[in-house]
Amino acid sequence: MQSGKSIRLKLALIRMGPLTDLETSVVAANIQAVLGINVYTHNSVNVPEEAFQENRLQYDAGLVLKYLSRYLRPDYSHILGITHVDLCTPILTHVYGQAELGGRIAVISNARLLKDTDTTAALPSRYYERLAKVALHEVAHTFSLYHCDTERCLMRFSSGLKQLDHLDIWFCGRCEFILHRTLANSRG
Amino acid sequence: MTGRTKILVVDDELIQRESLSGWFKKFGYEVDDADNVNKSMELLDQKDYDLVFLDLRMPDMNGITLLERIKTAYPLTQVVMLTACGSVETAVEAMKLGACDYVTKPVEPGDLVRIVEESLGQKQIVNEPMNSAPPNGSSDFRENLIGVSPCMRQLFSLINQIAKVDSPVLLQGETGTGKELVAKAIHANSERCYQPFIPINCGAFPETLLESELFGYESGAFTGALKAKKGRVEMAHGGTLFLDEVGEIPLKMQIDLLRVLEERTFQRVGGTRDLNVDFRLICATHRDLAKEIERGIFRQDFYYRLNVIEVEIPPLRGRVEDIPELARYFLDKIRAETNKPITGIHRDGLEFLQSYSWPGNVRELENAIERAVVLAKSRYLSKDDFGFLVRHSGQIIPQTLDESEKQHIGNILNLCGWNITKAAGVLDVSRITLRSKIKKYNLRPAAA
Repeated sequence: MQSGKSIRLKLALIRMGPLTDLETSVVAANIQAVLGINVYTHNSVNVPEEAFQENRLQYDAGLVLKYLSRYLRPDYSHILGITHVDLCTPILTHVYGQAELGGRIAVISNARLLKDTDTTAALPSRYYERLAKVALHEVAHTFSLYHCDTERCLMRFSSGLKQLDHLDIWFCGRCEFILHRTLANSRG
Repeated sequence: MTGRTKILVVDDELIQRESLSGWFKKFGYEVDDADNVNKSMELLDQKDYDLVFLDLRMPDMNGITLLERIKTAYPLTQVVMLTACGSVETAVEAMKLGACDYVTKPVEPGDLVRIVEESLGQKQIVNEPMNSAPPNGSSDFRENLIGVSPCMRQLFSLINQIAKVDSPVLLQGETGTGKELVAKAIHANSERCYQPFIPINCGAFPETLLESELFGYESGAFTGALKAKKGRVEMAHGGTLFLDEVGEIPLKMQIDLLRVLEERTFQRVGGTRDLNVDFRLICATHRDLAKEIERGIFRQDFYYRLNVIEVEIPPLRGRVEDIPELARYFLDKIRAETNKPITGIHRDGLEFLQSYSWPGNVRELENAIERAVVLAKSRYLSKDDFGFLVRHSGQIIPQTLDESEKQHIGNILNLCGWNITKAAGVLDVSRITLRSKIKKYNLRPAAA
């Protein structure tokens, strides 16, 4: 992908909750390396309580996106929120992340990435890789990328950790082409 | 990607519509939404949707009623019902009315993906009944499974669902309904599709032969057994064993088969070695096995072992709307085989075919078309070309009331030797009335 040539594209990474510097650094580094977008680490903000769903004890990802939109500034094109709370949507029991398709805002959660399917703690290397994959996947949605059927492409839909772990941390040729074109258009 | 797939989301709650629509859009689907019945029917009129996600509770109409309307007007559109609190009864009712699945909100992301894929797969089956072929089967293995009638669509949907599991299946249906074709379709859609499909008609063998056909034999097991031979059970290893006419299996052999099903091992006739087998069992019968159990000629334990999933295959008279399509299919096939220049079937011919009771079902229809094609004198088959069906079955050709009356009066007059008084007495009418009918229908004694 591109590296360091972006002028107009800048992503603000907003931490919501007790996440470590290492976690945000991993996400920022991967976005910068794979997508070639400059990442600016925003001050931490609180998790929006208006997104809390009492009946499900989870946070509505759509409402979190709406909340994040208030942090949009002219000097950065995109926002990625990163949180520790479990996200859901009205129709889905959970999501690892959510993004506006072709929009500017995305959010990811580490709540379901920390443990393996047998409930033991995931190896740190595996956990950070998952975090980077979900972040890249959601940010790519903001550049109008759909889900992809290609085996192991980062844009392939993962319904569980097994599928997520099976993905490469890279886009297939087709998705990379679309992403490259969209990024080029965005840069003007 | 499935960019051309069109999905309609019908839900009165905006948040649900947005959530579901947004999720589908990320898969590249074309999505529209509607919050009421009128808008959803308008959209359905304008666009050929592949899939509709329909909320069970709508403010202006019950979702089940709307489901009925959609399936009546757009039978090829697949409908998945959505509900916040599912009940088995409603799910069953929705499935009976043609919904292809039923989802309780919220749903696991993986389940939703599977539901969409399976529902779209079902639409493909309905749309292209002739295009699916098993990897190891002939290209027209589903030839008699043509149909768009509700019962056939339900059958296709059921085949799709039960193919995914490995449980025994009992197919019940009249002779000629296509039980073996359904068994093949289940096999072809299952994970065992690359392994053999082994059929055996249990009614076609005497008891001793059936045993060696099923279990095979070792060399020297009996006179003439020079070489060891595999039986059908062994041949089906990894694949599917189809026992047609399972009701004909003698009691003793039912015990042997029950043991194979429970222990997954058997011995060839004359052998001492236990052989392991792994197969899926599909059985078929036209008999009422429950009655056979009462009569003591079918074992109850064997029945329960076979009847994990029961599938009823509808008789042809129960799906008359499929007859024109089936008739055209057989006509094309037989025309190609016989090289006869038959162009089609007259409307009166099709109407007759739809009014006939088809005791021999699809097989009888195919035979009837073949006979009509062979004997036809014009380019179109008409009602008269199928007259032999009536002569064979004694069934009355559809006719008007006047035609029936003329025929009946003529028969009675002939029976009474044209004695008007006697015939009027049998018919319970006055002689004057009978004479006026004779005049009206221009009836004359046979000798005249």
